Amino acid sequence: MSYTSPVAIAAVSEMKPGRFPDMDGYDLYIEVIRQFLAEWSLKPTDIQGLLACPSGMAGGGSNDIFVHEQLYEEMGIQPLFADTMNAGGSTYGLMVQRAALAIQQGKVESVLCVGAGKFPKVSTGGAESMARMVSHEIYEFPYGTFIPALYAQVATRHMHEYGTTVEQLAEVCVSTREWALLNPDASTYGSEALTVEKVRQSRPIASPFNLYDCSIPLEGGAAFLVCSEAYAKRLNKQPAYVLGMGEFHNHRNIHQAASLTDIGCSKSAQQAYTMAGLSPSDIDFAEIYDAFSINPLVFMEELGLCPQGKGGEFFQSGAARPGGDFPVNTFGGLLSFGHTGDASGMSMIVEGIRQIMGIAGERQLDKANAGIVHSYGGMMSEHSTLILGRSAS
Amino acid sequence: MNDIATEEVAPPAKPQPRITACAAPYWQYAKEEKLVLPYCSECEASFYYPRLWCPSCFNQDIIWKQLSGKGKVYSFSVIYQSPLPSYQADLPYVLAIIELEEGPRMMANVLHCDVDKVCVDMAVKVLFEARGDMKIPQFQPA
Repeated sequence: MSYTSPVAIAAVSEMKPGRFPDMDGYDLYIEVIRQFLAEWSLKPTDIQGLLACPSGMAGGGSNDIFVHEQLYEEMGIQPLFADTMNAGGSTYGLMVQRAALAIQQGKVESVLCVGAGKFPKVSTGGAESMARMVSHEIYEFPYGTFIPALYAQVATRHMHEYGTTVEQLAEVCVSTREWALLNPDASTYGSEALTVEKVRQSRPIASPFNLYDCSIPLEGGAAFLVCSEAYAKRLNKQPAYVLGMGEFHNHRNIHQAASLTDIGCSKSAQQAYTMAGLSPSDIDFAEIYDAFSINPLVFMEELGLCPQGKGGEFFQSGAARPGGDFPVNTFGGLLSFGHTGDASGMSMIVEGIRQIMGIAGERQLDKANAGIVHSYGGMMSEHSTLILGRSAS
Repeated sequence: MNDIATEEVAPPAKPQPRITACAAPYWQYAKEEKLVLPYCSECEASFYYPRLWCPSCFNQDIIWKQLSGKGKVYSFSVIYQSPLPSYQADLPYVLAIIELEEGPRMMANVLHCDVDKVCVDMAVKVLFEARGDMKIPQFQPA
């Protein structure tokens, strides 16, 4: 697979995450698009394609399985390429990939990728409906599954194989919170810094996770415009080039994963590096889907950004923090920015784009020539890796 | 205060798995307290969960074979807070992935043990827990 013509992301916008009890998923979609259009000067003819995702899945009522139809009509566009697609948290990474292929095929010059997410409250049966969604209805759910308990299987196994400690898991939360304190849109902006002690003293949920090892359930959404190079440059003098991309679909149910420490990310990452003609040492920063503290730790390893088994030591070293050698989750992660349900897979892509464009405000990295963005759907089931860069090659 | 509020209410029943056609023998054997899984004679291997073809070679000539019921903990979590009403009385409980002696892995609870003693590679053996008119495989320390 090789890249015939460059593709770049020219415009990006994300709602500040929060709780929006008076808005359903579609209302959030409209607000996301309103903000996007307000921030970027675009005409209806600038948007030739549209990809969207159902916004109500976490609530169990996906009445918007073809939400793209309503969105393009309400926007006032007639796309040449459009779909509602869903691969959980990897949806938006895969949207970039699907859009890039359509653009390279010459079908369209630009595709708007958009997502909005509701997150049902854990206390109102939301956790049970989500557990039913992400664990096997027959062979897992009857054993008392819910989301933290499933991810915990990965963490326990990593601790067993590599000696990773709960303190090292806590370091991920501490590092990520430091970044959130630099991001005015993060839900924990203005709060206190975390410490390893605070994470360990927060209430136990599902070992090895305590409360602060879990991301913060919120609602929100985001949009970005994937374009041909010529189109992107017309809209933005520093677009974010899509240098490499890869995907891999490993399993659905966590007990079916052949390994919990090589869970499919390395395969999507390898495709992305190969396409970009880059190696891990060429990457300046990483934005990684972090529903729980264990995720960035294992994915740093699988992305080849630290040696296998050394993810814990990496975070403990402080390298991922502001001022560190290798920044990770500079927007504050789902752990401290907030996890916007169906739209959560947007946030790390949005941040990758912003860092490359150089519009990340106080947290803007000095060196952001190439960044890697990894997102996944399900229980680390299906994977999307993107490599974004400042120049086309 | 009315009396109803202080009456002891039975906890909601734990989920009873839905029986699909391809898994009917699995659940029938479980009811007899036997752990029996589909077996592919091409691959000479048992697999979990039941399906109509072998996921390693697509062979549809599947037979049913009883397993030893022995295994070890591949990974686990001790659950201290659960949103599931039917599991509240069990807190803290253990959700684990069990690797069976014959190879396949399955999810289950580890029962009848001190949750602080559970560890990866701990030897376990199968037992069967009633769920309505069914029985589901569970594990306990061997």
